[in-house]
Amino acid sequence: MNNLKKMKNSIRWVVALKEEAQVILDYYKLKPINEKTIYPIYKNEEETHWLIICGIGRNNAAASTAYLYSYSKASIYTSWINIGIAGSDKGNYGDLYLVDKISTYERKKSTYPSTMPKSTLPKMHLFTSDIPISDYTSYELIDMEGSAFFDIASKLTSKEFICLMKVISDGPKNDIKEITKSKISNLIKVNLYKIIDVVSYYERISEAEFLIIDKPELFYDIKSKWHFSATQSYRLETLLRRIETFCNKKDIEKTIKNCETSNSVINVLNTKIKNNLVNWSKF
Amino acid sequence: MIETIYVEDAIQNHPKTKFILNKFKKSRIISINKYGEIFNKRNQNFRIQKANPCLILAHKKDNFVLPAPEGFGIGSSKNFYFSHMYNCIYDCRYCFLQGMYSSANYVIFVNFEDFDISIEKIIKNNLNTKVTFFSGYDCDSLALENVTGFAKHILSIFRKYPQIEIEFRTKSIQKEPFLSLKPMRNVILAYSLMPELMSNSLDNKAPSISKRIRVISQLASKGWKIGLRFDPLIHGENWKELYQELLENIYNNISIDNLHSVSFGSLRFPKRMFRDIFKLYPHEPLFSSPLSLNNKMISYDIEIEEEMTSFCKNLSLKYINEGQIFKCSI
Ligand code: SF4
Repeated sequence: MNNLKKMKNSIRWVVALKEEAQVILDYYKLKPINEKTIYPIYKNEEETHWLIICGIGRNNAAASTAYLYSYSKASIYTSWINIGIAGSDKGNYGDLYLVDKISTYERKKSTYPSTMPKSTLPKMHLFTSDIPISDYTSYELIDMEGSAFFDIASKLTSKEFICLMKVISDGPKNDIKEITKSKISNLIKVNLYKIIDVVSYYERISEAEFLIIDKPELFYDIKSKWHFSATQSYRLETLLRRIETFCNKKDIEKTIKNCETSNSVINVLNTKIKNNLVNWSKF
Repeated sequence: MIETIYVEDAIQNHPKTKFILNKFKKSRIISINKYGEIFNKRNQNFRIQKANPCLILAHKKDNFVLPAPEGFGIGSSKNFYFSHMYNCIYDCRYCFLQGMYSSANYVIFVNFEDFDISIEKIIKNNLNTKVTFFSGYDCDSLALENVTGFAKHILSIFRKYPQIEIEFRTKSIQKEPFLSLKPMRNVILAYSLMPELMSNSLDNKAPSISKRIRVISQLASKGWKIGLRFDPLIHGENWKELYQELLENIYNNISIDNLHSVSFGSLRFPKRMFRDIFKLYPHEPLFSSPLSLNNKMISYDIEIEEEMTSFCKNLSLKYINEGQIFKCSI
C-alpha cells in the first residue's frame, strides 16, 4: 500500500549530453528504461536515481526537467542535479564548480541556487546563454542549460534540493572547437569522486525529508479498519505524529481497540494527548 | 561560520556593510538586487536552511518602527517595536519566526540611521506619554550584537531621552556594550527563561539557563535594569517543581533592586502558524503536549494557562511587587 516506504532517497539528473552522463550512468548503474520516451531516460534498479539526457539549450533543459518529473513521479523530497561542462576564463580547465548565482541575457533578475554546506568545492556565477559564447571575459561560467533547469526544478521542489555542478571545458586557452566526445567524458570522469560526494549530500537530505513527511506507521492500518473522511484522515495523521513521540505502536493499538467509529478513534487519541504530561528529562 | 553573504547592490558601500563584511573575511559574497530575491521566496526549506543559514545585508525602506501588538507591553501607555534584523541564530522550537518566514537566512538592515530618524520622530510626538520601545521583535535583539553593533548604536538615541524606555529582549549572554557602559535607567535588558530541563530540549543553540542567569546577575549588579520574561510557560511533568526551582534560583541570585519587571506569557500559535511549524518538526515533544484549538489559537487549555500563570505569579510575589508583574498575552 505504502510504496513510498521502499524509496528512501530520490535523485533526478538532468544532463545535456550522453558523453557528460556516461560516467554517471556507469557509476550509479543506470539502465535505459524499456519504453520509448521523448528524451532518453535511465534509472537504477531501486528507482532512486533517474537521469534524462536533455540535449543542448534552455528549451530542452526546461522541457526535459518537467518531463522527467512527471515520468518518474518525482516527489517534493526529490533532489535535482544538473551536471555538465561549461566555459570560463576565471577558473581552471577541468575543475568542478558549484553554481550559486545564475544570470541570462533575457532576464534582468538573477536566480540564486543554494549550494551544499561545508563543501570545499569552489563556487561560481553561471551565465546561461542561448548561443555559444567565445568572449569569456564578462562571466565566471558559461553554459546553455543551467538557468532553465533551475527555473523548472525550483517549481518542483525547494531550492535546497537543487544542485548545479559545472566542469570547465573551454576558455581563452582551450578552444571550444577542440572539445571532443572523449574529452567531455574524461572531464566528468576525473571529477567523479567529487560529484559522488556532492550527490551523497543530496541523497541524505532527500532521505531525511522523506522520513519527516512519511505518514506514521499506523496510519494505513487504522485507515483500513475504520472509514475516515479527508478531514478526519488529516486529523488522524496529525494526532498519530504527536502521539508517536510518547507512545509506542502497541499502546496506540490498545488504546483504540474498542472504538466503533472513526470519530471515536479521533476522540480517544485526542484524549490521550490532552492527558499527556511531557517528560522533559527524556528529550 | 557564515558561508555565504548576499549584499544588496545599493548598500555595497554603506559603512555598516563594510563593518560587517570585515568580520567574515572567508565568506563568499554574492551581490543581489533586492533581499526579497533570496529571502522568503516560495519553495525554500526552512529546516534545511536553519542548519546553515546565509546572511543577507539589506536596506530597509519603510516601517522602521511599528506599534507593538496589543498585550505586549510592560506598563507604558504606548508601545512600539523595531527590528534591525529578521530571523535568529538560535532555534527555539516554539519560535514564531519558524512559521512566519519561509526562509531561515538572516537579514540585517544596515541603514541604522533611518531607524534613528523614525524613533526620534515618535519620541518627539509622544514627549508627554509613557512610551516603551521593544528592540528585536523579529529576531533576538542581542544575539548578533558582536556582528551588528545595533544595541550600542541605538542606546545613543535613548541616552538623550531618559523618560523613554527601551527593552532589549534576548536569550543571549552578550554582555557588551552594557558591561562597559554606565547603566541607563530607561533601558531594560529582558531575558527569556524557562526551566533548564525544558530549555535543553526547546531552546536549541541558545545559551543554557544557568549561563543566562549568571549574566543577568552580573548586569544587575552593575546597575542595569533587568526584565524576566517567562514566555512561553511550558507545561509538562513536574512543571511546578521545575518553575519553583527556576524562580527561586533567579530571585535569590540577582539584585532585586534592579529588577524592572517580570512577565508571564502563554504558549500560543495562530492555527496556520502551528500547522506550518508542526510540518517542519512533526516529531518534536513540544507538539505532543496537550495543545488544542482555543479561540482560533493553538494553546494549552485555559485552565492549564491560568494555573501556570498564577502559580508563578504567587511565587514571584514573595520577592517582588504586584506592580512589577505583567501578563504577556499576544
Ligand atoms: S531566541 Fe527568540 S527569536 Fe531566537 S529562535 Fe528563540 S524564540 Fe526565536
